[in-house]
Amino acid sequence: MKLSFSAEDERFRAEVADWMVANLCGEFEGIRNRGGPGDEHSCVEERKSWERKLHEGGWTGLGWPREYGGRGASIEQQVIFNEEYARAGGPGRMGHIGETLTGPTLIAFGTEEQKQRYLPGILRGEDLWCQGYSEPGAGSDLANVKTRARFDAAGKQWLISGQKVWTSLAHESRYCFVIARTDPGSVGHKGLGFFLLAMDQPGIAVRPIEQITGTCEFNEVFFDEAACAENDIVGAPGEGWQVAMGLLGFERGVSTLGQQMLFQNEFDEVLRIARENGAGADPAIRQRIADAHVGLRIMRFNSMRMLSGGGDDGSLSREAMIYKLYWATWHRNLGKLAMDVLGAESEILDGAPYALNRLQSLYLFTRADTIYGGTNQIQRNLIAERALGMPREPRG
Amino acid sequence: MDFTFTEDQLLFQNTVRDFLAGEVTPQRIRASWEMESGRDPALWRQLNELGLVGMTVPEEFGGLGMNELDFVLIAQECGYVALPEPLVHTAMVAVPLLRQLGGELAATWLPRIAAGESIVIVGLEQNLLVEDAHMADLLILQRGDSWFAFTPEQVELRRNESVDRSRRLFAVTPNKKGSDPLLKGSEPFFVSTARPVGAGELLESTLNRGALACAAQALGLAQRMVDMAVAYSCDREQFGKPIGSFQAVKHLLANVAVRLEFARAPVQRAAYSVANGEPQASRAVSHAKLLACEAAGLAAKNSIQVHGAMGYTWEVDLHIFMKKAWALSNTWGDAAVHKARIADYIFSEGAELGAGATFMQIA
Repeated sequence: MKLSFSAEDERFRAEVADWMVANLCGEFEGIRNRGGPGDEHSCVEERKSWERKLHEGGWTGLGWPREYGGRGASIEQQVIFNEEYARAGGPGRMGHIGETLTGPTLIAFGTEEQKQRYLPGILRGEDLWCQGYSEPGAGSDLANVKTRARFDAAGKQWLISGQKVWTSLAHESRYCFVIARTDPGSVGHKGLGFFLLAMDQPGIAVRPIEQITGTCEFNEVFFDEAACAENDIVGAPGEGWQVAMGLLGFERGVSTLGQQMLFQNEFDEVLRIARENGAGADPAIRQRIADAHVGLRIMRFNSMRMLSGGGDDGSLSREAMIYKLYWATWHRNLGKLAMDVLGAESEILDGAPYALNRLQSLYLFTRADTIYGGTNQIQRNLIAERALGMPREPRG
Repeated sequence: MDFTFTEDQLLFQNTVRDFLAGEVTPQRIRASWEMESGRDPALWRQLNELGLVGMTVPEEFGGLGMNELDFVLIAQECGYVALPEPLVHTAMVAVPLLRQLGGELAATWLPRIAAGESIVIVGLEQNLLVEDAHMADLLILQRGDSWFAFTPEQVELRRNESVDRSRRLFAVTPNKKGSDPLLKGSEPFFVSTARPVGAGELLESTLNRGALACAAQALGLAQRMVDMAVAYSCDREQFGKPIGSFQAVKHLLANVAVRLEFARAPVQRAAYSVANGEPQASRAVSHAKLLACEAAGLAAKNSIQVHGAMGYTWEVDLHIFMKKAWALSNTWGDAAVHKARIADYIFSEGAELGAGATFMQIA
């Protein structure tokens, strides 16, 4: 049993906390607690500067190996950083896709040349990335991607055509990684490639998608013979699925653990309002608040348990499989609880046009938690089929 | 014991359903969001021509002389299309309150309502804001034990946005032009009504009718969201099959269907109770509103889930219905208010519980 962090880890925690206090102020005062889920469109320029500030502090590429400019921090320290970052009200990261997805993927699967070319810009907080996975016909069935990659031998480049959807930060990003079909006759997992594309080119058009919050956090991205240099494919043509799945392992791994502190902040606000407006006197509300608290502790203990047993290889995928289902459902319930605590006030906005308050935003955005990154239904299938070994659902 | 509606009631419901399906489309609702008033006088005229506006106005005042039970099916249809116009409020809240008050107030305003000339809006203190106050030719407001009637020139309105863009909410404050005889100042006006009505009774019955109106609309909203999700699940394919063929998806909607069907009878029961002035109307209404709004809440949650990421886009119409369901579940008494009313009854001395009281009728 290991129910506490080491003295060294606690020193690290203090270092992070001190740095946040000393730096999340002045010009960055206004972005505290901003830019989180449902608020990703806000304070974009300030948050871009903040990414560079994080780099100055040595907080980017925390878990990356030292040889690639990372800090080589243990999983414990990565969790601690994410916790302290959230506790201090650190703004939603704009560089997180590059740092937690592109970087580890290139480190694991990329060529040396790709690493040298792309990793430094990510570390400096200058090059933002977006993710080109989902398509209109490929959501839960991700392997059904139709976007095509054709090799143009004369131009020594790949030409990408098709459409991606639900792409966060596409309009702010310098690069996008895309899975596309390199083998025109192929279906499913086979015949895919993993490509690195510059967003600023004539073959790419970005259209924002408005959410039920009235804000636009996602985009559609249209590719019309968008160019990708010959050496910007990761892995071999036809082997993109392995790379893509390796990346999803990073997505569902350690980077999600720090969010518990954000959840705690949200829970605290719900509790504060319940105390103030009298909703906390209602027995049904009291019990749900207690349930929510219990859920937070469960997530916390489970993270600690993972840390106790896990190695330093970043492979938390088994635990992550149950964790996504748990936190997404917990968070969606918290959104509903917040509205029930507000009662008659819950439908009243801060102002026109459609200015949602933080909890209303929470409520609406948590509707998406049980959908993106694998719906609850897909998660349960994964648990049943992979963890329990139950027969696969008949498909196709 | 007979839970069935008459052939006339069902026939009329069908007529109204067809009309609303044709006229109150999601496109029309979205267009109304961009209008300052958010309301369409032409649509109101059409609703009046169908006899809906004056449906619960007594025949002597030019209405159809029907009651809340007759209207409850219509209210469900209004919910199904998320009708922005204050039709359900008029027929189920404003008109019955005027009938209850009687006297000059009723004699003046009921014929105008039946003629489609005037709109009367009722606001309770617990609703915080008054929906459609900007449409009112007469506002009847409860504050504590006092009830006030205001004409538009006697009040200042300050608009507040709602999560449901169809809802127009207003803070109402009286101004200095209180010379109209209808303005009673701090003096409760019910003393001047034809028959004496206690302030408490007035509040309770008005809350009941407002909550019943929400419950009936919530049934329609839930049905609409399920219908949309079923259609989407048949249409959308993943893994080479319609997603509705996967158990995990179909069970989401089956769960809503069960909840929704079990909410229908309590809403009908509550409408009967309100229409017949039964003493147990309050808990029948609370029961109905809880179940209907829970069904609508589950319908919203699961229908979004079935729609996947499309379900939380502005472009897909689902949120029109989901946000109205959200607003209705928290107005005219939220779940805590209505659960407390039921609990208070169950724990009260001499509460009539158990099988013998199931079909209890009060003579």
